[in-house]
Amino acid sequence: MTVFLRVFILSVSLMFFYFFYLYIEDDKYYPGASFQTSNMPLFELEDLYSDGVITNSDIEGAHLINVWASWCITCRIEHGFLVKLSSQGIPIMGLNYKDERIDAINWITKFGDPYKFIIHDLKGELALDMGVTGAPETFLINNGKIIAHYRGEVNEMIWSDVFSPIIKKENLFNDN
Amino acid sequence: MIIEAAQFLTILATGLFFLCFIFSIFFNVNDVNIIKLISRIYSHSFFLFLSSFLIYVWLAINDNFSVLYIAQHSNTNLPVFYKISSIWSAHEGSMFLWIIFLSLWGAIYNFSVHNNEPLKARTVGVISITTVGFLLFLLLTSNPFETILPLPPENGADINPVLQDPLLAIHPPTLYLGYVGFVIAFGQAIAFLIEGNSSINWEKQVRFWSIIAWSFLTLGITLGSWWAYYELGWGGYWFWDPVENVALMPWLAATAFIHSLSASSKSSILRIWTILLSILVFSLSLFGAFIVRSGIIDSVHSFANDPERGLYLLAFIGILVMTSLILFSYRLTILISNKRIVSLSKESFISINNIFFGTLIFSTMLGVMYPLIYEFIYDQKISVGAPFYNAIFVPITLLACLFLLFSIESKWQSKLKFAFLSNPLIISFVFSLFITFLSFKFYSVSRAWTLASLFIGSLIISRYIMVIYAYIFHRKFVNIYSVLAHLGLGLLIISIALNNDFSSERALNIKINETETYKNHEITFNNLQLSEGPNYESVKADFIIENKNGNKFSLNPEKRKYFVRGQITTETAIHASLLKDIYLTIGDQLDDGSWIVNVQFNYFIRWIWFSATLMIISGLFLARSLNRVHS
Repeated sequence: MTVFLRVFILSVSLMFFYFFYLYIEDDKYYPGASFQTSNMPLFELEDLYSDGVITNSDIEGAHLINVWASWCITCRIEHGFLVKLSSQGIPIMGLNYKDERIDAINWITKFGDPYKFIIHDLKGELALDMGVTGAPETFLINNGKIIAHYRGEVNEMIWSDVFSPIIKKENLFNDN
Repeated sequence: MIIEAAQFLTILATGLFFLCFIFSIFFNVNDVNIIKLISRIYSHSFFLFLSSFLIYVWLAINDNFSVLYIAQHSNTNLPVFYKISSIWSAHEGSMFLWIIFLSLWGAIYNFSVHNNEPLKARTVGVISITTVGFLLFLLLTSNPFETILPLPPENGADINPVLQDPLLAIHPPTLYLGYVGFVIAFGQAIAFLIEGNSSINWEKQVRFWSIIAWSFLTLGITLGSWWAYYELGWGGYWFWDPVENVALMPWLAATAFIHSLSASSKSSILRIWTILLSILVFSLSLFGAFIVRSGIIDSVHSFANDPERGLYLLAFIGILVMTSLILFSYRLTILISNKRIVSLSKESFISINNIFFGTLIFSTMLGVMYPLIYEFIYDQKISVGAPFYNAIFVPITLLACLFLLFSIESKWQSKLKFAFLSNPLIISFVFSLFITFLSFKFYSVSRAWTLASLFIGSLIISRYIMVIYAYIFHRKFVNIYSVLAHLGLGLLIISIALNNDFSSERALNIKINETETYKNHEITFNNLQLSEGPNYESVKADFIIENKNGNKFSLNPEKRKYFVRGQITTETAIHASLLKDIYLTIGDQLDDGSWIVNVQFNYFIRWIWFSATLMIISGLFLARSLNRVHS
């Protein structure tokens, strides 16, 4: 009886911890990531720098869309990595989210501009359509479809674990 | 500079705590000088760690945005109260608070328990190593002292608005106090196992601490539930959210634990249960910390997600729990009492109820883990919801309550005589049957589970009222606080059942100056006001509600938009009365200018809080009475 109790308690608890170990080690374990394909919503919004508008036709092909704001501190931490990405030739469109134009421009001047162009989404309209819950968030779009969405800071690790596999699979950004 | 100093104090404290542990393991802990030394080092290191935390609070009050965490979670516009509570509004700071409380319990234990107590030195040692494990977690993976230099931002990013609520500012601290309070029971159990001397009555020493911790845990859960009720605007008080479940599991285990303790502090019967449960309660508390902080589960509560944190916590908790269980198996033979449990004795009913509690814990764990296992194997997300938990909790809880009734009649270590089928039980049986019949006949209660709950709840209440009667008029000895706590349980079962049966809601489309009728209440939309708060702007609606007796009152539900984060929250308006809450929330405005207004009638909700409060207060008084006997 005591032997049975010993073996039972120890093996059950060991299995319990082992399961969580497997779960954590598993690649899928990125709660911020989602890979549901959906259509890129139609939009027509102001350019941050000029009076011109930016529409869907400006982002044909494969693009990253990065949601950021000058009030967002995590964005500032993320920013360095985005600059690095853009220097590797990855086209990134900035979606400036619920931000004052002047603050956003100051921010970019101060910390560098990794973006091909920046949409000024003052009211968060496009962000709402895309299912943004806060900043920063990053979308991968290809031919008018959102194919990956990450909520939170994108860094070296997230890039290689979340974005790289799907980029490789879809064979994107190869022309650079 | 001051930030680094605070961090240094924490590092220093970590080292000293580790020293306590080393001394308690490798030195002769029966030597009074060694005990004194360990006790003194512990106090010093707690003092250093506490100073570090107080400096941190001071930094938060003074808006020191060089500290990354404070910059991310506080704001100059916030009132001082929320600047302080912003410390536990996210992962790093709340972990900091968690560890402060962990070491605080140890410090109070260390201070108040005499150096002659046989298990003291090792208990302090176990508490120290647990603290060290979490301190390393804090410093290595979630450092709250991280700075943004050289250019700190001018203003912080603000605390999440749903957390800007006085109740929510105190909900985490009370809950944490409950969670980590069981470290003393855990420490003593481990010390007892290391010592291996079965003549030490560790149960008696640990009862006081465990009941206090249980009361805090209950309070923390109740506050969370109350907050969810009025702040989230869904009108419910319990959502079977994974994080609620990981708080419920230690609570269930703790409840089973304190009951077993009362049995085994009298004789060493049920000692296997008490030791195992003390390990289980604390392990489940730690498991809760792991689930919430590893970000495995999506929930209202989940913190920022970083796989490294999950891995560290899993490893640490795994080592701690596995070591305890190996120790437990090693000492299993000395735990087995040579006295047998007399069948139909009070002990036997307590062990049956332990099995029921075990089943509830297992089922909850299954509900939490099943989606993870499913996702792991099939790569699909599913969720386990209320129907699963209700189907399991309702029948098992009611069954356990029946055994509770038998245990009132039974005595320690002697068989229950059939004479128990005597007056009190029969009176309460007839009374409950009568109550149930009345509610069926005249109040249109018709669902079987509601009737069953009503019956069992009245059975508990009426039986315990007779116990109180005997206590007052026949001087029959009972533990009055335990009686009151169980009255709370009876009341809780009835109120949950009736709340579930009677409550209703409807969404109305209503324009200004229109009147709608819902359940004999005329609801008039009086006007709408735009206003500005300290850090938000709001739309406030004014409704006049008239019930069928012609009583009028106004309710002002509100929607707020917080400036800094742009988040929108709904502020519910609640008209509370003895039996029901009228609960109003406003939604969006439609194109035709009407507003969506959700009206809910929530019955017996106040009774739920009242029952829980009764249990908490009884717990605290019970602990106080134990302490008096003890000293």
